[in-house]
Amino acid sequence: MDAQPAPRRDPVTRAAVRQLLVLGAVCVAVFAGLMAALAWASSITGGGSAVHRAIDFETRTITLVLEDEPPQLDSTRSTDAISFRILGHVMEGLIRYDASNDLVPGVAERWEIRPEGATFWLREDARWSDGRPVTAHDFVFAWRKVVDPANASEYAFILYPVRHAEAINTRTLPVEQLGVRAVSPRVLEVEFEGPVAFFDKLVAFGLYFPVREDFYESRGERYGADAVDLLYNGPFAMTRWVHGAHVRLEKNPHYWNRDTVQLNTIDMPYVTSDTTAAVNLFKDGSIASTGLGQEQLEEAMKLRWNLGRYVDGSVFYVDFNFRPERPTSNVHLRRALQLVNDSAELVNKVIALPGYQPGVSMFPGWLTGVEGPFRHEYPPPVVTPDHDKAREHLAIARQELGDIRPLVLLTDDSPIANKQAEYYQNLFQRTLGIEIRLDKQIFKQRLEKMTSGDFDMVAAGWGPDYADPLTYGDLYASWNGNNRGLYENPELDAQVRIAQSSLDPRTRMDAFGEIQRILIEDAVHLPAFERGRLFVQRPELRGVVRRTVGTDPDYTHAWLEETP
Amino acid sequence: MTPPLRFQPADFEPISAGPPTAAPSRPSLSYWQDSWRRLRRNRRAFVSLAIVAALGVFAVAGPWIWPRDPAAQDVDQISQAPALPPTAAIVDPYTPWAGVTAEPPADGPRWEPASAGPSVTNLRLAEPATTQAVRLVWDGVEGAAGYVVYRSVYDPAPDRALGLPLGDTVGAARVSYEDRLDVEERRYWYSVVVLGEDSTERDAYATLVVEPVRAVSAEEAELRGWVADASRISPGDTIALPYHPLGTDYLGRDLLARLMHGARVSLFIGVVAPLLYVLAGIVVGSAAGFIGGRVDQLLMRFADFVVALPFLLFMILFKVAFGIGPGESGILPMLVALVLLSWPAAARLVRGQILQVRQEAYVAASRLLGAKTGYLVFRHMIPQTMGVILVTLTFAVPSAIFTEAFLSFIGMGVAPPTPSWGSMANEGIRTMLSHPHELLFPAFAISIAVLAFNLLGDGLRDALDVRMRGRE
Repeated sequence: MDAQPAPRRDPVTRAAVRQLLVLGAVCVAVFAGLMAALAWASSITGGGSAVHRAIDFETRTITLVLEDEPPQLDSTRSTDAISFRILGHVMEGLIRYDASNDLVPGVAERWEIRPEGATFWLREDARWSDGRPVTAHDFVFAWRKVVDPANASEYAFILYPVRHAEAINTRTLPVEQLGVRAVSPRVLEVEFEGPVAFFDKLVAFGLYFPVREDFYESRGERYGADAVDLLYNGPFAMTRWVHGAHVRLEKNPHYWNRDTVQLNTIDMPYVTSDTTAAVNLFKDGSIASTGLGQEQLEEAMKLRWNLGRYVDGSVFYVDFNFRPERPTSNVHLRRALQLVNDSAELVNKVIALPGYQPGVSMFPGWLTGVEGPFRHEYPPPVVTPDHDKAREHLAIARQELGDIRPLVLLTDDSPIANKQAEYYQNLFQRTLGIEIRLDKQIFKQRLEKMTSGDFDMVAAGWGPDYADPLTYGDLYASWNGNNRGLYENPELDAQVRIAQSSLDPRTRMDAFGEIQRILIEDAVHLPAFERGRLFVQRPELRGVVRRTVGTDPDYTHAWLEETP
Repeated sequence: MTPPLRFQPADFEPISAGPPTAAPSRPSLSYWQDSWRRLRRNRRAFVSLAIVAALGVFAVAGPWIWPRDPAAQDVDQISQAPALPPTAAIVDPYTPWAGVTAEPPADGPRWEPASAGPSVTNLRLAEPATTQAVRLVWDGVEGAAGYVVYRSVYDPAPDRALGLPLGDTVGAARVSYEDRLDVEERRYWYSVVVLGEDSTERDAYATLVVEPVRAVSAEEAELRGWVADASRISPGDTIALPYHPLGTDYLGRDLLARLMHGARVSLFIGVVAPLLYVLAGIVVGSAAGFIGGRVDQLLMRFADFVVALPFLLFMILFKVAFGIGPGESGILPMLVALVLLSWPAAARLVRGQILQVRQEAYVAASRLLGAKTGYLVFRHMIPQTMGVILVTLTFAVPSAIFTEAFLSFIGMGVAPPTPSWGSMANEGIRTMLSHPHELLFPAFAISIAVLAFNLLGDGLRDALDVRMRGRE
C-alpha cells in the first residue's frame, strides 16, 4: 500500500498566501488609482459641467432624466409620449392646459365653437423664437401637413373632425380642400365634417400645433431632426440636443406669456429608461425628480421618501389579431382566454406596484361620463374567471379550428411587460393547455409588427390624446389606423359614428356604454391594467403638474423654493 | 598499447536463457494509472472533479428527486427568499367588499407640501387582516375632498415618512379602503391622510399597525393543487403551502427546480459543444499535421479564416437560417455556431503536437519497420496528443458554459419559460437590490461550474503531462 504523504504546511504555502495578499492589495490600489484618474480625466474634459446638480437656485436650472430619445420633433408626425412631452414645453397650440388642468387661451386669445365650425382669434403678441408673429397661416400649413398622405402621419385621424380631412388623407381630395383657412393673419376659420363635442380639447393636442411654412421648407427633410431645425413658439426653446445623450430646454424670450415662466433652464443630460439608474441619480442629488419601479419600493420606504402618485391615464390590454387565418379570430377561443384571465391577480400579485388598477374595461376609471365618473354611470359587464366555462368554449373552438397551434404573444421588452407576458404564458398553459410563444421586441419594433399584423396576441396600451371617452371609444372602429388586429363590427362602427357626431352628452355616453359592452361581450381584448405612477421629487421644486391628459410632467409653471 | 583481441570458439556459443537477474520491485504503472494517481493526489483537482460529478447528478437526477415544474407560478409566494416551509390559514373565499377600493381621480392630486389640517380618527380594521385583503375603515372629516391611504414597512413617526401611496378615495364620505396589493405576512404601518378642498394633503395622519395572516380559501387551495379535496378542510384549518427551499423568483417560480432545469441546458451546451468541436479539431488538426505540405497550409489558413468570423453575428444568422421564430429556443443554432466557429483552437493544438511527434525517433523506427499510416496515427500520434486534447476539452467546457450564460443573459438563448442559468441571472439582476437571492443562486451556480471545470482542467494538465511522470 502506498504511503500517503503528509499534508504540506511548509513555508512554501505561507509564502504563497503572502504573495496572494500582496497581489490583492496591489490590484485594489491599481483599481482605485484608475478610478481616480478617470474621475480626474472626466472633470477636465467635461469643463466643469460634468457635475450636474439637481437644482440650481442661482441660474434657476433644474436637471432631469429623459427616459428615451424622441425619434424626431416634427409635431405633424409625432406619435410617442416623450416627443409630446418636449413639444408641450417648446410649442403652443391655440388652446392649452393650465396648472389646474383647465383649458385656457394659448395662441388664440378667444374662440367660438359652433356645430358646423369654429373660429379662433389669435393674440397679437404670439411670437416664434426668431421674433416673427405666429399667424393663422402657420396653423393652416401644419394641419394640411398632418392630413397630407405624402407626410404619412400615423396620427392623421385625430384631425378627421375637420372637414374633408379623411378624404384628403385617403387620397380622394387634394390637400387644399381641408376645411381650415386663414381669414386674416389673426383669424382662423375651421369647418367641421360634423358636429364635434370636444374640439377645444382636441386643439390642445400636439398634432394641432403650428408650423411655419418658410422655415419648414428651408429645412426640408431635416425639419425637427435637431435643435436648430425647429422653430419654437412655446414657453421654452430647445438649445441643445445631443442625440441619445442630452436635451436642454431654455426659456423662450419671445414667448408671449414669458413673465409667468419661472424656470430658466430644464437640463436633461441623462437618457435612460432604467428606473434603477434614475433612482441612483436622484439619490446622488443629480436629478430633481424620477419615477419609481417595483424594485425601488423597499428602498424608497427605507430612505423615508415622500412619494407622489398620479394616474397617467393609460390603459393596457391584450389585443387579438382578427385576420381570418389567425386562430384568435375565433370568438370561442377568445372567450376561453377571457374567462381564465384574472387582471386582479396580475395587478395585485405579479406587477404589485401601487397606483396600478386591475383592468376591467377599455374605458379607464378616471373618465367623466354625463355628470359623474363614467364607470359609475356605465359599469362594465363583469367577467368572473370561470375555468369550467372556459374549457367549454375551448372545446367548441377546437371543433371549429381543429388543433390550436402555439399562439404568438407579441410584447415589449420592458420589465413590466415581461412579467405580464410570462404570467399569461403560464396562465393559459396551466388552465387551458394553450401554448404561448413570446415575441419580445423593443417598443418601436413592437409597433411595427403590430401594424403589419405579425402576431396572434399583443400586449398593448393606449394613452389618452384628449379628455373624452372617444379617445378610447374609436380604437376598434374598422377605419381606425390603430385597430391593428383589424377588428370589424358594423354594430360597433355605428356606435362610434353616433359618439363622433352627436353633441348630446347623454346620447354620446350611451354610445360609449354600448361600445364597452360589445368589447367585453365579443371578447375583443383582455383588459390588463390601468397605469398609475409613483415618483419622488426634490421638495425645492414646486408647481410641477402631473397630468392624465396633456403634457406630463409639465414644468411650465414650476418654480424653485428654498426649503426652511 | 592494447593487446590484440583474441576470440575463443566459446565466445560464439549462445548464452542460455537463465532466470532474470532482477525483477521490478513495484508493479508497473500504465500512463493512465499514473495520471489517475497523480490527479488523486492533487486535492484541488480532485475536489473539482467531485463538484463536476455532483453538478452532473444535480442536472440529470435532480428533477427526479425534486419534481417541481420550473414554469409553475406560485403567485402567493413571489420573490420569496429562502425560508422555512410556509403554512396558511384557511379562510372563506374572497368576495368583493362593499367598501371602496381605489378610485383614481380625474384630475390627479396636486403634489404640494402638506398643509396644516385635521386628521381622520378611529382608523381600524373592518375585519381581521389576511394576505387576501386588508380592509380599513375610519371616521371621516367633514369637507374633505377625499383620503389617501399609505402603507409602509417602517414606522412613519417621527418624520411623516408614510411610505407607498396605495390609493385615493374621492369624497368626504368614502371612509373605507381595501388593500390587496401584494400583502405579505409582515408588519405594516397603514396611514390615512385627508385631502383638502384644493386636492392637497393635510399634514396630520392616523396610523394603524397591521400584521396580516397568510390565508387562502379552500377552493383556491384545491385549484392550485395544494390539497386534494376542498370539502375536507374548512375555515380555521391550517395547510402547508408549497415549500421553496431556495425561494422563488419574480413570478413565484421555484428557484431550486429552475436551477436544476437550467443546469440541464447549461451543462448540455457546456459539454456537448466542446465534445463536438474538439472532435472536429482533432480530425482537422491531425490531418493537417500528418499529411503536411499543401494540405496543411490550406487547412490552417482556413482555420485562420474561421477564427476571424464574429460569433454573435453567426449565431443570429443561424437563428434566422434555421427559421427559429420568436419565442422558440435558440439552443440549436447556438450549438451549431459554437461547433462551427470554435474548432480552430483545438485543431492548431493537435496539429502542433502531431508535427512534434512525427519527428520522434520511435515514429521513424516504426515507419522503417513498415508500419501503415493508420497504425502510426492510432498507436503513436493520438495517444501522444491525448493529454493535450483532454486539457483543451476541460478548458473548453467552462468557456462554453459561460458563452451559453452570456447569450441567454442577453436573450439569445432559451425561450421563456425554459430556464437556463444565464436567463435566470438576467431575470434576477432586475431585483438585485430588493431580492438578491434571485441573482445570487444562478450566478453562484455559473461561477462554481466554471471554476470547477477550470481547476479540473488545471489538475488534468499536470496529471497528464508525461514529463511529470513518476514525480509527486
